[in-house]
Amino acid sequence: MNELLVMARIAGKRAAFRAVEIQSVIEIESISPVPRAPDFITGLTAMRSRSLTVVDCRKSLGLSVGAAPGVRAAVVEVEGHLYALQVDQVEDVAEARSAPEPVSGGLGEAWQRVSLGMVETDDGPAVLINVESMIAGPPANPSASKPGTARKPGNKPIGVSA
Amino acid sequence: MDDLLAEFVAETREMLEAIEGEIVAWEADPGDRARLDSIFRFVHTVKGNCGFFDFPQLESLSHAAESALAEVRAGRRSADVQLVNGVLAIIDRIGQLTDQIEIGENLTTTGDDMLIAMLDNTAEETSEPQEIQAVETFSARSNTPSSTPRSIRLPVELLDRVMSGVSDMVLARNDLARRLRASGSEPAVDGPFERLSGILNDVREATTRMRMQRIEHLYNPVPRLVRDLSAELGKQVMVDLEGEDAEMDREMIEMIRDPVTHIIRNAIDHGIETPAERRAAGKHEIGLLSMTARQSGNRISVMISDDGRGLDCARLGSKAVAAGLLTEAQLAEMSREDLHQLIFEPGLSTAETVSEVSGRGVGMDVVRANLDKIGGTIRVRSTPGEGTLFVLAIPLTLSIVAGLTVAVSDQRFAVPRSFVEEIIHGAASSLEFTRLGDADLVTFRGRRIPCLSLARVLNLREVSDLRQETLLLIQLGTGDLFALAVDRVFDHEDLVVKPLAPAVMATGIYAGTTLLDDGSPILMLDVYTIAAQNGLVSDVRIRPAGRDEQVQHAAAKTRPIMLFVGMDGRRRAIDMNLVRRIDVLSRDAVDIEGDRAQIVIEGAILPLVGLNDRPLPEGKIKLLRLSDGHCELAYAVSEVADAAAIESEIVPSDADSSIEGVTLVGGQPIPIIDGLALFARHGRTIRTDTALTCRLPADDDWSRTMLHPLVQAAGYRITTSAEDSADVIIVMEEQAVPADTAATVIRIYSDADQPGSADCGIYRYDRDALMGALKHARAGKSQ
Repeated sequence: MNELLVMARIAGKRAAFRAVEIQSVIEIESISPVPRAPDFITGLTAMRSRSLTVVDCRKSLGLSVGAAPGVRAAVVEVEGHLYALQVDQVEDVAEARSAPEPVSGGLGEAWQRVSLGMVETDDGPAVLINVESMIAGPPANPSASKPGTARKPGNKPIGVSA
Repeated sequence: MDDLLAEFVAETREMLEAIEGEIVAWEADPGDRARLDSIFRFVHTVKGNCGFFDFPQLESLSHAAESALAEVRAGRRSADVQLVNGVLAIIDRIGQLTDQIEIGENLTTTGDDMLIAMLDNTAEETSEPQEIQAVETFSARSNTPSSTPRSIRLPVELLDRVMSGVSDMVLARNDLARRLRASGSEPAVDGPFERLSGILNDVREATTRMRMQRIEHLYNPVPRLVRDLSAELGKQVMVDLEGEDAEMDREMIEMIRDPVTHIIRNAIDHGIETPAERRAAGKHEIGLLSMTARQSGNRISVMISDDGRGLDCARLGSKAVAAGLLTEAQLAEMSREDLHQLIFEPGLSTAETVSEVSGRGVGMDVVRANLDKIGGTIRVRSTPGEGTLFVLAIPLTLSIVAGLTVAVSDQRFAVPRSFVEEIIHGAASSLEFTRLGDADLVTFRGRRIPCLSLARVLNLREVSDLRQETLLLIQLGTGDLFALAVDRVFDHEDLVVKPLAPAVMATGIYAGTTLLDDGSPILMLDVYTIAAQNGLVSDVRIRPAGRDEQVQHAAAKTRPIMLFVGMDGRRRAIDMNLVRRIDVLSRDAVDIEGDRAQIVIEGAILPLVGLNDRPLPEGKIKLLRLSDGHCELAYAVSEVADAAAIESEIVPSDADSSIEGVTLVGGQPIPIIDGLALFARHGRTIRTDTALTCRLPADDDWSRTMLHPLVQAAGYRITTSAEDSADVIIVMEEQAVPADTAATVIRIYSDADQPGSADCGIYRYDRDALMGALKHARAGKSQ
């Protein structure tokens, strides 16, 4: 009855996804960027002739990132759309040794938003990730999105000559 | 069998299947209002569809069931056993008749009257046994195999699976092709592979077409429907259909067919008045029903409008209150527009009498329910006495879009081809670019068009030189035109557009995503929203047709003007349409003699005005080049300020004949220069504009494909006929020329060494020499 978890690392921290939610783990070869999309969306990639929206988990957490994300990503489907969640690395599949429990004192604002609680595994505790919150991205927070995202391009309306 | 009939049969059968469960449930609990409603809708729809065809029994049967059910809905009658049985019998009978229609048999009428009588309040129970008998005879009959059906209906999921399978095959094929190329040519494999590849392309084409249908299919039955209805109601109605080329998902067309039919029925029955009423209201006797379809972004908008009496807000409101949908207080707070939307609530009908055609308070709620199902929306707008407009917005997802792939900063995007009017290279000599403030304008064929740089729209980079770019001339459904500058245009491709994740969709500038042949994802731009975000969409054409006057009026009110500061330091404005470009020239080009000033621009001498006896500035002089199409003028200014639109009235000025009047721009009074008077006083026809004619060899492919565009670009009119007089004649090799011709003769040689020996001989790939010769000829002729 123990739930299977896909263990990963996000910004160096141990994180877990429910295995039932993960369709597959892929290695992303190429990403087409999406101009003017929120910062946490790295772009689009294709898997078996379907396109996936690539989400950088670290940016979705609102963390400033140094190095490029790992090539591996967990594929999830939310409301009919496929997403590839970029993590530092995908480690293993493990069994949960406990039900998700809230951590007293919280995990910090960013992690709290995407977590379903803490789960114990044989290798120690991990944050169980709420996939929906992860793909929703950080709440409207100017520092977390590109400066240009909300800006309209500079052109002002002009009359069209008939 | 007729296509329409086949559709009718298929649809009726589908609906029968769908409500089968409902019928059983209703039989168990006749008080169930929701079930009653859906059965009612079924018979109502069948009755409505019969309007297309001549099936009097089917119509009378469904009408009888509808009437009985309407009574129940209104609470005037209870759903007793007799009524339930009667309705069920009629539904069964509809199923049998449908079978008969399909196999083209003559419809039998046995027992129909009995069935109808069963529903009559006063009828007696005795009819039941006979009814059962009738059913039996038919079930025996319909078991006999009929002719093989020529079409089948498939679940959409299956189609989707086939489509995605074919897409995968294409990707696998491409991968294989790359590997084959890498391993070197192998004739034994290459041949069959080519064949496979060709077949795959055909299959792919066919599968993509499977789902698509021109919107024409939706339009086809409309004229007939309108004709029959208006004849029945003693009205005269003209139909105007537009946009039948738009392609739509087959499923979507089927989904909106009923709603559209309902709306048209309502428009003719309740909207459009009788000829006498129309005359009395001062309208044309013939009512107009127009239907327009257009693709805007990732949606198709279908607009249905009539010029009838409009919706009766007061009645709608009081009905809604009577039906308990609203309280008086809520009603009082509602805007007129919101009030109009009440017609989509179940159970509201403003018709005073129930007619054969419509008006039982069913219909509009069905319309909205059907649209909701496919993620569409419907709005209604109405003006009392002037008409009603329904706007249906239907999503385009899963449809095939003919797209153009373009690149900006090494990234590829797709643009729906339906928007692209023309593709022009920025370096084309027919284009003129103007930068006003932060905005770019391009003048193309005498029209001044706003120009957006895609790189800038996408925040990729600033574009410094639009001449390096390729311009897509984009025409929106609203009639607005603008140019979109991209780095490169690749190819036309048919794209299967899939919806994007909400976070990406929220940017508003993408309509969907699609995979290219090489498997890489590419974004489809939402051209309409991009234009709207940049203020390039005008809202004047909210009505699809018959509003031209209003449009012109609105256009006249917002005439675009250009603001500038004159040499005397005063702010003025001039009609934007007159301004061809803004030039900065050295003062050496100016020649002043007495009160006549001239300036040399690009080898032409133009009258220079606007100096107002002021001394010329040092160094450079800024000019507006004005043209009314025939003459050109240069207007000296000290500064170009901005583009604006005239919004307030122009107050005419009697004192100064050189200005049209004074208008307010941003609270400041600005005199507007009278362009007409200006050209009348100073205008001079430009000689160089008279095109010279060049005769090219008539039947020579090289001349047609290579020479023609070159010579045309040099400003010549082209002829190939020997009868036309020509200023320049181009001949190939030693071809004979009429000896008496006054034209300049240019000989083209395919041998690079030969030209030297002859006069005016040019090697065919020596482009510079050819252009030089053409220029020389022009200079000679125009003197």
